[in-house]
Amino acid sequence: MTNEAAFAGRLMSNYEDILSELSEATPFFRRYARALGAGVGLVVADGLVHSALQGLGARLRAREVTPSDREMARIEAYKAITSLAAHKYQVASAPGPRHPPIVHGLAALDFTDRAVLLLVSLEGFGYAAAADIAGISRETLFLRLQRARAALENWSANSSGVVQVGAARSSAHLRVIK
Amino acid sequence: MTTPPTGFLEESDLHAFVDGILDPDQRRRVEEHLAQNPEDAALVESWRRQNASIRAVYEPILREIPAPSLRSAAAQVSAPSGAIESGATHWGRPGVLPRVRRREDILAQQRRQAIFASVLAVLAVAAVAALATFIFAGRSEHRSMTATSAPQGYVARAGLTYATYVSDQHPVEIDASRLEELSTWLKARVGFYKVPDLSQQGMRLIGGRVAPGVAAPAGFLIYERADGGRIGLYFERSVATITQQASKSGSGVTAIEWRTADFAFVLIGPLSLDLMQLAAEKAAAQIIGASKPQ
Repeated sequence: MTNEAAFAGRLMSNYEDILSELSEATPFFRRYARALGAGVGLVVADGLVHSALQGLGARLRAREVTPSDREMARIEAYKAITSLAAHKYQVASAPGPRHPPIVHGLAALDFTDRAVLLLVSLEGFGYAAAADIAGISRETLFLRLQRARAALENWSANSSGVVQVGAARSSAHLRVIK
Repeated sequence: MTTPPTGFLEESDLHAFVDGILDPDQRRRVEEHLAQNPEDAALVESWRRQNASIRAVYEPILREIPAPSLRSAAAQVSAPSGAIESGATHWGRPGVLPRVRRREDILAQQRRQAIFASVLAVLAVAAVAALATFIFAGRSEHRSMTATSAPQGYVARAGLTYATYVSDQHPVEIDASRLEELSTWLKARVGFYKVPDLSQQGMRLIGGRVAPGVAAPAGFLIYERADGGRIGLYFERSVATITQQASKSGSGVTAIEWRTADFAFVLIGPLSLDLMQLAAEKAAAQIIGASKPQ
């Protein structure tokens, strides 16, 4: 087997491995798309995931993106979903009365703040990976995460009439606490 | 902000603690701090409650079974014809890696394309002649406008537009040298203004025009290859009742249809399915990248 053929074989093997990862991770993509929409319907969220994955598939075949492993492929998929949602969800409907209170709280957040919070809290990404997906620096990610949690806390306090502990700490700055 | 001395905690450490990304030593330090600071402990607890609430709402989605087409959205390597699935949100083709083809196959396909192109030219002339006869013979007097523009798919309309204009010496109304003017005009008339750049596929933009669509004015961009072959990109505000069609090859031309939320697109030209699909993907990627609510 020539070096070129071996290289092509490795590329194909890697490509199929990545497709397999994207397929297996589809339930997580659906969950993220639903949460990111904060009240959008199933069809809209699944449509978003479908479009994002098709776009990513096309970019993979055109070798515009070349994730080195399954985890990088997963990150690329989250990037595609986040990027597409930033446009599509601008006109998404607000959550209705049947949605739990936390969904209303998420809907009230800035889009990127919400994405950052969900990537870390729901999808379990580390700060570096979440920053990569959201397209922001790690420092900005932390500030947005802090702002999202504070805003959610304030929203919860305002909606329930109960003053939550720490609700006053909504300013986005690094605080030395000890 | 001054850098805190070693051993001090920052609020970021509390967030990292909640998110479970501290090493054991850091974790122990935070736990000791929280044991002595009830206010911060309550703050941490409230963040944990937020996380738990979010997971409680969205965790059940993981137990749902996604549609097979969704699971294979990035792959669909089993579609040798490259047919585009129906569905409003589908915008690209289910792709395959470009296959290595033998030279004999390529030459045979080129011969077929030449024959099909000739047949298409004859059919196009016949279609235009029949249409003209129909209109000028007054047979439409007893028919409504709806009847003469009987429902048809975007691929069929794109084919007619292609056949009508593509062989003209001046097939466009505004040429590529006035790209900004072309975009503005298309936005005003058709509602869509992104002109994809397909130069990497060897397709140079000649220009564009407005053409009759199925249910509304359509845009029609024309690209030209170095060998003189012309490719058209037809787009029209989509109507949900018009069914999306699979890609078609025939009469020497290939047509690939895809859709975004608001528009139907058809790329049509005398190239092989693989080349057309690649070009369609490029166009679709640029359109998706540029799409924003109007």
